[in-house]
Amino acid sequence: MLQLAVRKQLPGFTLDVAWEAGDEVVALFGASGAGKTLTLQCLAGLARPDRGRIVVNDTVFFDDATGTNLPSRRRRLGYVFQGYALFPHLSVADNVGYGLHDRSREERQRRTAEMLERLGLTTLADRRPRELSGGQQQRVALGRALAVDPELLLLDEPLSALDVPLRRQLRTELMSVLREWGKATVLVTHDLAEAFQLADRIVIYDDGRIVQAAPKSELLSRPASEQVARLLGVRNILRGTVLKATPEIIELSWRGYVLEAINSPTRTYLPLPGTEVAFFIRPEYVRLIRKDRPVDPGHHMNRMEGAVVREVDQGTNWTLFVRLDHAGAPTQGEHDLEIEVPKLVYEMLEIARDRRWAVSMHRGSIQVLPAA
Amino acid sequence: MVKTILLCILTLAVSVESPAVAQPKQPVLTVYGAADLTFAFREIAALFEKGTGTKVVLVLGSTGNLAKQIEHGAPADVFFAANASFVDDLQSKGAVIPETRQLYAQGRIVLAVPRDSKLSIQRLEDLLRPDVKRVAIANPEHAPYGRAAQQALQTARVWDALKPRLVYGENIRHTLQFIETGAVEAGIVALSVADTPAIRHVPIDPSLHAPLNQIAAVVKRSTRPELALGFLQFVNGPEGRAIMKRYGFLLPGDF
Amino acid sequence: MDAFPILLSFQVSLVATVLTLALGLPLAWVLARRRFPGHDLVEAAVVLPLVLPPTVLGYYLLVVIGARGPVGELLGGLGIELAFTWRAAVLAACVGSITLLVKAAQAGFEAVDRRLEQAARTLGRSEWNIFWSVTLPLSWRAVFAGTVLAFCRALGDFGITLMVAGSIPGLTQTMPLAIYDYVQANQMREANLLSLVAVVTALLFLLGLGRLARLRF
Repeated sequence: MLQLAVRKQLPGFTLDVAWEAGDEVVALFGASGAGKTLTLQCLAGLARPDRGRIVVNDTVFFDDATGTNLPSRRRRLGYVFQGYALFPHLSVADNVGYGLHDRSREERQRRTAEMLERLGLTTLADRRPRELSGGQQQRVALGRALAVDPELLLLDEPLSALDVPLRRQLRTELMSVLREWGKATVLVTHDLAEAFQLADRIVIYDDGRIVQAAPKSELLSRPASEQVARLLGVRNILRGTVLKATPEIIELSWRGYVLEAINSPTRTYLPLPGTEVAFFIRPEYVRLIRKDRPVDPGHHMNRMEGAVVREVDQGTNWTLFVRLDHAGAPTQGEHDLEIEVPKLVYEMLEIARDRRWAVSMHRGSIQVLPAA
Repeated sequence: MVKTILLCILTLAVSVESPAVAQPKQPVLTVYGAADLTFAFREIAALFEKGTGTKVVLVLGSTGNLAKQIEHGAPADVFFAANASFVDDLQSKGAVIPETRQLYAQGRIVLAVPRDSKLSIQRLEDLLRPDVKRVAIANPEHAPYGRAAQQALQTARVWDALKPRLVYGENIRHTLQFIETGAVEAGIVALSVADTPAIRHVPIDPSLHAPLNQIAAVVKRSTRPELALGFLQFVNGPEGRAIMKRYGFLLPGDF
Repeated sequence: MDAFPILLSFQVSLVATVLTLALGLPLAWVLARRRFPGHDLVEAAVVLPLVLPPTVLGYYLLVVIGARGPVGELLGGLGIELAFTWRAAVLAACVGSITLLVKAAQAGFEAVDRRLEQAARTLGRSEWNIFWSVTLPLSWRAVFAGTVLAFCRALGDFGITLMVAGSIPGLTQTMPLAIYDYVQANQMREANLLSLVAVVTALLFLLGLGRLARLRF
């Protein structure tokens, strides 16, 4: 159980955040400089908030009302620094066992050996950090943090120093370590995919404030506002005018088309007709209608027609930029909609050659965003 | 390993007595004296040691510096200054025993050049010659012989013209060194140190400066005042006087 | 010629260097790791002993620790002599050389990645422990260089020692003072011999230190 409320003023930046978490993995997500690492440092006792209260598993780490500020070394935490901060003058084994200095010699050796084995580092026990690869260093850093059996684990950009293929592999390893360990973990990252894969709950930071904190399942499907959607890197964020809103559906006018979207069952939004609202549809949810199949109203809702004006090869997918037929300036620069199709589809439908397409959007895929 | 070394050094540090000092079995007398007494006192001290079985430690330097150190607790038993004012000063500060204050010599200054110098310097006015680039005297601020040199040069009316060419020695020994090594073309030193083969010298008329009455006194903090007084009396006694005379000092009763 | 000045000088310098380390390392650490009002002033003050003329420094020290000074009187009351003893020579050597150690050590400490110290903090170590287990091992080269410099400076101290310890033969006459004395008395043979011994001994000592440093690390 973790409760955090922190306010800290720095020259040119103010941190003012509050969030809670259970025994789960929480990711602090946001751009660089948003205050995520600062929050972690306040949790760890390496930075002192101006005001606030931090409680972890019923222990008060910080409370400005009572003047409590538990020193780092009494907080029983494990901290994996960005860049790992391994002691260059100590061996891998000594690094891992560094936090165990107050135990007996045998216990220290035993726990170190256990941790080394668990992370596959036993053969590297006598090496120095500079002799290790990035992935190995990350594991040593993790081992060092976990060896002390902390109550709380803090990870600052644990994978950002690694290159992409390695990152993916280690992400999986890290995930299993975290699951196995099972106690509260706070993870800082600017990589959305990382946050989604590793965390149960995501807290979104923007310029020193929280814009949304929610379990991850809720986040992508229900961003709290246009701002959050943008921060999540959602594309196709569009603006339309409300024609009609009922608890079941919202009808919008956009680019001369009438679109129908399902209203959120958990958070019914009833804007008045005439209100301008933001909405989005994820690129992978815009369907290209195959020309060799009949149109099916049950499937092909919100039909529109247009032409592909540009495409980008993403490696495994193609991103298509489509301009719709209706008169008027396109809403996103040169195009109206971004559509993502797997390579196979791109090639089968010969999109390189055949540029004119009809698209449809299931009314459940259109997310209307409440005003921020 | 490092810890053991540190421990050894630490033990050394807290030891009260410096182990490097061999504890002498005989009594030790520390004599602080002006630099002009260098040669004379070496002989006198040796004689005194033989006669009394005391070890004499000679600390020689410029009178002013020594006086200051004595004022701040230097372990002198007896102080032989090269003038009176510094002893008077110590007396007013209660650092010496007034009853022991006595005149022990009068100093003389001489004009000296390095032995192999081609210059013929006979009078103070000769120092103004263009081929005399630098002249050494002891520092008039704290060395009485330096002050006497300054007075003589002022009386001879050459002080102002000569000032830019003056080099100041810390004390008489230092000044002598400048001349011996040829670092300067000429200089003024005490007669008592001038009898060294490295220089040639001529006397300076004593009426050109205030008399260099050299005063000595027993230091109040001394733990051996009787012995100190004994040494002082030895210097003023027949054996001491004979040696002093040989080194060109004028003695009480002779002037 | 007497070996006393050489023995005394080495003894004094070793002890002075230990004292310099004991006072200088904490000072260097505070300057490197803590900001406080007056920080820059202290930093500048540390350099002063290098800037002031040694005899001036020695005089002010003498005023404080001499028989009439506050420290001198206090210690005198306890039966401890400071001025004009070998201990004053240690003090003089320490004052003259501490700047070198502090500056070198401070630079060394500042170069240690603060995050390593933070990591150590989160792993439960006290500040004292962190200094010995992380900061010092990672800055030992700078500290070692500073110590060697301080030792050499202590060995060669003249002006300050002359003022507070005096040049008392057989008691406080260190090597530099003895050489000076010989030169002043025009005993050039002794002066040259002592100088030669001084240089050779110091060189051997330093070579030995260098060898030790390479072996150990």
